[in-house]
Amino acid sequence: MEKHATIDAKGLMCPMPIVQLAKKAKEMKSGQILELLADDVGAKEDVPAWCARTGNQLVGTEEDGKTLKFYIKMK
Amino acid sequence: MADKLCMVVSEGTFDKAMMPLIMGTTAAAMGTEVHIFYTFFGTKLVTKGAKPKLPGFWRLFTGMFEKRMKAVGIGSHQETMQQARDMGVNFYACSTTMGLMGIKESDLIPGTKVLGAAAFLKLASESQTTLFIG
Repeated sequence: MEKHATIDAKGLMCPMPIVQLAKKAKEMKSGQILELLADDVGAKEDVPAWCARTGNQLVGTEEDGKTLKFYIKMK
Repeated sequence: MADKLCMVVSEGTFDKAMMPLIMGTTAAAMGTEVHIFYTFFGTKLVTKGAKPKLPGFWRLFTGMFEKRMKAVGIGSHQETMQQARDMGVNFYACSTTMGLMGIKESDLIPGTKVLGAAAFLKLASESQTTLFIG
C-alpha cells in the first residue's frame, strides 16, 4: 500500500500510539495515507475508534507477526 | 460542536493522578474537549512540583511503576501533565479546596484555571460524558 508517512509505535502502549497518530495527522494533507505500526494489543480497537471519531478513514490493516499495520487515509 | 468530556479527581494518589491524564490525552487526540476538575485531595496534583505516590502499601512501588510506564512510552507525572496540556486538556482547581487547604493561585501549575462547583456543573451538563475518577 502506498504511504506518505510512517509512525513506528512498536513497544508503546495505549494511549501513546493514538497520541502519536493524532500529532502526525495534523501535519498530513487530505488524501494522504499514514502508516502506523503498533504491537500494543489495545491498538486493534483504538485505531478504528480514533478513525471513526475523527472522520479519517481506515483503508487497510495487515498483521506481520506481532506487529499490526494500519493504513489511514487523511480526511 | 466538539464532544465534551469532564472528569472529577478528588484523590491525590499516583493512580488517580495518571488515569485522568491518560484518558484525557486520548480523548483530546480524538477531538474531544476535555475538562478535568481537581478537588479535595486531588487539588494537590495541579500544584507545582506535585509528586504523587501510589496508595498505602503500594507507595514503595511507585518508582518501579514509573520505570515500567516509561519503558512503554508513558512519561512521568509531570511529563504526562505537560503532554495533556499540550493536547489542549483543561485543568481546573476547586476554589473552595484551595481556600480550605491554603493553596494559592501562584502554587498552581501554569494554565490551571480556578473554578467553583456551579461553573463546573455547567460544563458537566454540556458534556456527553462525565467521569468520577476518584
